Parts: sequence; structure tokens; C-alpha cells
Amino acid sequence: MMNVWTLFIPELYCLLMAVVFFGLAMSARPNPRRDYFAALFMAGVGVVVALACVRLEGTLFFEAYRVDLFSQVFKVMLAMGFFLVVCLCTELNGIEERHHPEFYLFLTTCTLAMMMLVSSVELLTIYVALELSSYSLYILVPLRRGHGVDVEAGIKYLMVGACASAVMLFGLSYVFGVTHTTYLVEIIHVLPGVIGTPAAIVGLLLVLCGFFFKLAVFPFHFWAPDVYQGAANQVTAYIATASKVAAVAIIMRVVALSGGSSKYLVDMLVTLSIASMTLGNLVAIVQKDMKRLLAYSSISHAGYVLIGILSMSATGYASAIFYALAYLVMNLCCFLVVVKVSHDGSDLKIAQLAGLHRRAPLLAMALMLAVFGLAGIPPTIGFTGKFLVFAAAMEKGYVALVIIAMINATISLYYYILVVKAAYLMEPDEELPRLPVSIPTKVLTVALVTAMVVFGVAPSYLLEVARAAARMLM
Amino acid sequence: MEFANFPYLSAILLSCVVGLLVILCIPAERKMLIKWVSLVFSGIAMVLSIYLFITYDKTQGGLQFVERVLWVKSMGIYYFNAADGFNLPMLMLTGIVLFTGVLTMWELETRVKEFFAFTFLLVAGVFGVFMSMDLFFIFVWYDVSLFPMYPLIAIWGSTRKEYGAMKLTLYLLAGSALILPGILYLFVNSGLNTFDVVALMQPGVFTPFQQKFAFILLYLGFGILAGVWPFHTWSPVGHVAAPTAVSMIHAGVLMKLGAFGVLRVAIFLCPEGWQYWAQLMAVLATCGIVYGAFVGLAQTDLKYVIGYSSVSHMGIVGLGLATVTVDGLNGAVFQMFAHGVMTALLFSSVGYIYDKTHTKMIPELGGMSKIMPKASGYFILAALAGIGVPCLASFWAELLVFISAFKTYPVRGALAICALVVGALFMLRVVQRTFYGEKNEQFEHLPDVPFGLGIPRMILVAVIVFFGLFPSVMLDVIQVASVPFINGLP
Repeated sequence: MMNVWTLFIPELYCLLMAVVFFGLAMSARPNPRRDYFAALFMAGVGVVVALACVRLEGTLFFEAYRVDLFSQVFKVMLAMGFFLVVCLCTELNGIEERHHPEFYLFLTTCTLAMMMLVSSVELLTIYVALELSSYSLYILVPLRRGHGVDVEAGIKYLMVGACASAVMLFGLSYVFGVTHTTYLVEIIHVLPGVIGTPAAIVGLLLVLCGFFFKLAVFPFHFWAPDVYQGAANQVTAYIATASKVAAVAIIMRVVALSGGSSKYLVDMLVTLSIASMTLGNLVAIVQKDMKRLLAYSSISHAGYVLIGILSMSATGYASAIFYALAYLVMNLCCFLVVVKVSHDGSDLKIAQLAGLHRRAPLLAMALMLAVFGLAGIPPTIGFTGKFLVFAAAMEKGYVALVIIAMINATISLYYYILVVKAAYLMEPDEELPRLPVSIPTKVLTVALVTAMVVFGVAPSYLLEVARAAARMLM
Repeated sequence: MEFANFPYLSAILLSCVVGLLVILCIPAERKMLIKWVSLVFSGIAMVLSIYLFITYDKTQGGLQFVERVLWVKSMGIYYFNAADGFNLPMLMLTGIVLFTGVLTMWELETRVKEFFAFTFLLVAGVFGVFMSMDLFFIFVWYDVSLFPMYPLIAIWGSTRKEYGAMKLTLYLLAGSALILPGILYLFVNSGLNTFDVVALMQPGVFTPFQQKFAFILLYLGFGILAGVWPFHTWSPVGHVAAPTAVSMIHAGVLMKLGAFGVLRVAIFLCPEGWQYWAQLMAVLATCGIVYGAFVGLAQTDLKYVIGYSSVSHMGIVGLGLATVTVDGLNGAVFQMFAHGVMTALLFSSVGYIYDKTHTKMIPELGGMSKIMPKASGYFILAALAGIGVPCLASFWAELLVFISAFKTYPVRGALAICALVVGALFMLRVVQRTFYGEKNEQFEHLPDVPFGLGIPRMILVAVIVFFGLFPSVMLDVIQVASVPFINGLP
């Protein structure tokens, strides 16, 4: 059965990485350089492996696990996210040296779990994959060398996460009760017929709660600001990017189960979407800490991405996939700047960006493009993502929703501009030296910036891929 | 894919984009080199835009210099540039103002590289909006032209620059928050799955209700940038805060972008919505004309005076558009051009005076014509053009608009004409207080405009006088587009 195992190669590769890091963690003396280069190399190969497997299709494990273009595209995004986060770990000062192998180990297991999550098409498999990724993050968050903030963040994350899991399990029992099966393939046939019944709709919503927690959708967003701030910068970068992408994928899978015929579900998603973006944007305005600001911005972006999902059409799902990718790139670019500017691993206040345009012009430009991208200004990929999402919603006739979302985008512009202002206008109180930006960092920055602009202006290819992937859901 | 024998329009865009990239590659210390590179690329853009204006075939009319490439297949997005009688004057205006703007900033010393980089990005967006015939690209270019305004004003500006920059950016992007839903609404309801303006403007594509709904979204959205009363408050504040070249580009070109957007997107695609809302447009435009004139009367800051006169003059453009007549459209487009050149000249004169005296408060100046006769001359000429003195470009534009407005809306037309008198009063008052009367001793030693810095101002003066003497050169081109358009209305 050679053929079957080839389908599982990206996951097997992650497992292999995890074993390697487990071995490294056993070694007596800490050696951060060795750990970093091992991680960088293996994560780089991981991207290649995921790309090579993108065209595979098939099912595994008694049909509980499906490999199709949808899952493979997300696996590529996850592998890329993982690789880029590892790229940011040249100076992993936020975490004690002896814990570096563990750090990479749990990043790897988390990536593995998320890859499994996007491929799972059976409720219990989904649950197991979700828990594996959550538990990895529960450990990663308090790993930070800190003064207790990290522990608070870790406990908060664990508590909220555990509650969300419990709610989700409860929802799963409803769905199972209504449909008598745990296989999504069968549910998708049964559920649209009974979606009018309260049990089905409540069950589906409760299941979604578990994933909304991952995506930090209102009202499951309380962990985000504290965890973003409390975790080490690189861990935050990972939570903010890869973890969000996986959540988008699985929410799409579950929402697609309803068949698009439930008005209650749509109304609920519309409400959550509006609440998320409005709350996220308004609270972000008063933030002083860069990571907290990005946390609230992520809450509002969860709202935007929900707009694509709640359109429940192929174009809607495609736009959400595109948006997830756009978000991954833009957010990583922001975190790249955060990590480089606060290279001692401490939290970054927005005011600390002052004078960045002189200290590191390239980083300042990248930051400006990234935050304008997050605000949805062309010619960046963030604009194209928003454009596609709104077009999909408009197709379904949600004019008011699109207008509200655009007004929100304008509100968000205010705090994004404050970031640009700090980087370009403000001068630091005392003269700070130029930031040393190594050649690999420059290459990485230029690559991210180029990706943001090129795919923003010429989205054709990515859009076709996203559309093909979205068709797998229908 | 269709291409005219040489893609002139793309060449204009590329001159900006390549200019931007070249500037980014030059080390920041080589300031002179950066300025020369900017001058060369802006010169190319200007020459090309003038060339297009001259070589446009008026007997054939319609869209010329067409470039059309399928960009995103699944959404029917085309990279579609073309020139017609409406956008040629605008392209030429942009070229002239960019070139003169670069020359005006020749003495800039702080953060030169970033300044010209942002300027080129801004102007690329402006050119893009004017030449694009695809809704997606119009919107993309529109936003590209807006966001560089923030750093340009906030870094190099004066007088409450951060406040002005933030207010301007938020207002304008709030405008695009209305435009994008409007565009998407049209895209979805056409059922044609295309963003191609030419395809969408065929009669019968949209129902009257759809046109009315989309028109008001688009009109308000673009209207914010056009300084339509009561959404104009960002404009004087922004003008005052901006550095000279940015004020020139901004008041001269960027505000036209809003009016042009109303014309190209809202009016072209929703003609029935246009006729339905024309009354409202006329009311808002008249309010703007009257309000701008009266508020301008009370200002003591030279740049505020110009800012409010811009609101008033853009009201004239709006009034012309609201008449739904050939003369009104001709006048509106001509006024966009004339006002653009005139405002650029006003801001560049004030910019010079401010650079030397470090004040733009009217009471602190006085008798400037004895100290800086040339700088004063430029200002006074531009001020006269603004009032609508014959033989200067604005005269013809304003004449056309007021004649057609008087026919269509007698009361509002009459009010607007009265406001024009007030406008003349406040401009003359400024001229008198600033340039004549007692001269301020402390500025006596200051030099007048040297020859090099005089070149951009002379170009602008030449343009104003030329089109004042030969208005038919401009009107013949606009006519080619406006006559068939009005005749084709349902």
C-alpha cells in the first residue's frame, strides 16, 4: 500500500521533524545555532515537500482523512507559515536557550496537527487534530523567558481553549445525534435536510464555537490580546498566522456542511462578523503595544474573512482562501519587523518604532506596506483579498454588510496610520543606532514585500488555485 | 488583446513607476541626482501627455490609443486604458502639474528621496485613474493615489500637519468606502461578469433603481474627493498643511480625480441615476460655491484663502456636471483643467513667499509686490484667472457653466453668479492686503524668484494665457466626447 502512504507525506515529514527535535532536546548542552539551522533547513524542505504533494488526491484511514486540493493548498500555506516563522528565529531571545529544541518541537507538532486538521473529514478526527494543535500552543505560550506575564497568558489561553473545546464537544454530540454519523461526507447529505431544526442549527453553531476560538472571533476573542502580548514574539507570529489559516480552513469545511440554505446560520455569522470587526477595530485604536494592536487587528480580520465564508458560494470560499493567504503574508511581514526591532525579545511598544525610517529604511517600508495591506489599500494583496471577499458578499446581495465592512476598514486605517506615523514621523527621544539588518533578512523582507505587491496587482494565478480548491468543498 | 501601435498611455504610467523604482535604488545622499531623475521622468510623462492631446483624432472621436489586456479572467477584469475627450485634458493637466511641481521643489533638502518616491507613486495613481476604463483598475489607482498623501503632508508639511494629514486621509478613504460597494454593486447586478466600463455603459444594463442607488453611493464617494459641500472640510485643512508641490498636485490634480470619478464612473454608468439626482447635485454645488466664497472672505492665512476658493471653484465643476447639458459638461471639464493649472500657480507662488518669509498670514505680509515683484505677479495673475477675468482660461470654463446653469436652474445659477462676485471680492482683498499697501520692513532683504524657480511658474502662466486666448483648442477635444454622450442619453 505504498500509494496510500504517499498521500500522508507532508504529515509524515512533520512527524520526522518532531522526532529530530525530540532527539535534540535530549542533548545535554544547549546549542541554539545548531537548533536554528536544523529547523531552518528542515522547515525549508517541508515547504518543498508540501508543494510537491499539492496535486495528490485520495482518502486515508477509513475515509476519515481526505487529501484534496483544498487540504493540500492549506498544507502549503501552513508549511510556508512554519518556515517563515522559523526564519524569524535567528535571535530567539524571548525563550531560554535550553528550551530552544522544545520550542521547535512544539511548533512542529502544532504544524502537524493543523495539517491533519485541514484534511480531516470526520468529527472525532477533527477534534483530535484540533486538540493536538491547541495543546502544543498551550505549552509554547508560557515558554517565554518572562516575568509572569507569560504564565498569565498561558493560563488564560488554556482556560478559554478548554471551555471552547467543551462547548465544541457538546455541539458534536448534537450533530451526531441529528445525523447519526461522524463522517462529514454523510453529514453533508443529511444536514441540509434537517438544518431547519433547532438541534441541528445549535449543534453546528456550538461546533463552530471551537473554531471561532482559534480564529479569535467575537465573543471568543478574549485570549487574543493577552496571549499575543504574553507569548514570545515568534510564538505570537505563529499563532497569528499559521494557526489562523488552519482555523479558516476548518470553519469553511464545517460551514459548507449546512449546504448554504440556513438563514439562521447566515444571520448568526453576519452578526459575529460585524461584531468582530467593529470591536476589533475600535479597541485597536487605543492600543500602545504593537502586538496587542495586531491582536485586535486579527479579531477584526476574523470578521472580514467570515464575510467570505458566510457567502457560502464557491467564489465566497475562494475569496476566503485568498484572504487567508494574504493575511498570512501581511502579518508575517509585520511580525518580521516586530522581531527585528525588538531583537532582545521584549514586547514592542508602538512608540519604540520611532525613527525606524532612518534606523532601517527597508524594514520601515515593509512595515508601511504591510499595515496598509492590512488596512486594505491597493496595490497590496490585502486590498485584493478584501475586494474578492466583498465581491462574493455582494453577489449574495449583502450590500449593507459590505458597506459596514468598508466603514470598518476606514476606521482601521486610523490605527494603522498611527503605526506608519511612528515609523516615519516620530523621532526617538535619544539617538538610537542603525538597526543591523543581515543579508538573509533583507532577502526575506524584499521577498515578502514583492509577494504582497505582485500578488496584489496580479492575483490571477492564486485566484484560480483558490477557486479550484474551493470547488472541493461544494 | 488590443494595442495601438505604441502604448503611449502605458508609457506614461511606466514613466512614473520606473521613475519611482529608479529613485528607490539611488542612495539617499545623492540628492541632486534624485532631483534630476525625477525631472527627467516627469518630463517624459508631461511630453507624452501633451503629445496625446495634440495627436488625438478629433474627426474620428471615441476611444483612441486603446490598450486592452485580459487581467483576471474569472472576474472579467481588464487592463484597459484609452483616451477620449474627457480624460485627455486631465492627463495633460497631470503631466504639467507634476513637472512644474518637481521643479518647484528643487530646493528641498530634507528626505529628498522619500519625497520624490511618494510623489511618483501618487502621480502614477492619478494617471491611472484618468486613463483607465476598467472599474477595478480605476479603484486600485484611485486608492494608490490617496495613501501617499499621508506621509507627504505629515512629513514635509506645515501648520497642524499631522492633524491635516490624518483628516484628509480618513475622509478620502471614507469616500472609497462608498465607492467600492458602489462598484461591486454594479459589477454584480450587470450580470456581465466584467469590470469593463465600455461594456457596462451600454443602455439597458442596469435598471433605473439600480442606477439611482449606485449613483448616490458613487457620487458621494467620489464627491468627497471633489470637495463637494458639506464633505469639503478636509480640503482647506489638507491644502494648508501640505508642502508646496503636494498642495499643487493635490488641489490641482487630486481634487479633479473626484470630479472625474463622478463623470467617468457615476455619470457614465448610471445616466438615469444622474438625471434623477441632478437636482441634489446642483444644490450641493451651489452651496459649495457660495459657502467657499464667504468663508474665504474671512480667512487670514493665504493658503486657507486658496483652499476655500478651491471649494468654491470645484463647486462650479459640480454645477456644470449637474446641468446635464453639453455646455455644462464642456464647462465642467474645462474648469477642471483651468482650475488645476490656476491653483497650482497660486500654491507655487504662495509656497515661494512662505519659504522666504516663513509666514503666510496676510496681516504679517503686505507690500510684497515691491519686494518680490515676480512672485507677486504670478499670484495676482492666478488670482485674476480665478475670478474669471477674460483672456484667461477659467473665464471660458466659468462662462459655459454659468450659461448652462442659468438655463437649467435659474435660481441656483443666479446665486452662484452672485457668489462669484463675492469670490472676486475676497481674492482682490487678498491681493490688495498682501501685495500692495505698506511693505513689511523685515522682509525687505529677501530675494525674488530666481530664474530657475521661475520656470515652472512661467509654464503655468503660459498655459493659463494660451487656453484663455485659444479656448477652442481645449473645447474641440472635450466636445468630441460630450456631444455624443449627451445625445446618447435615454
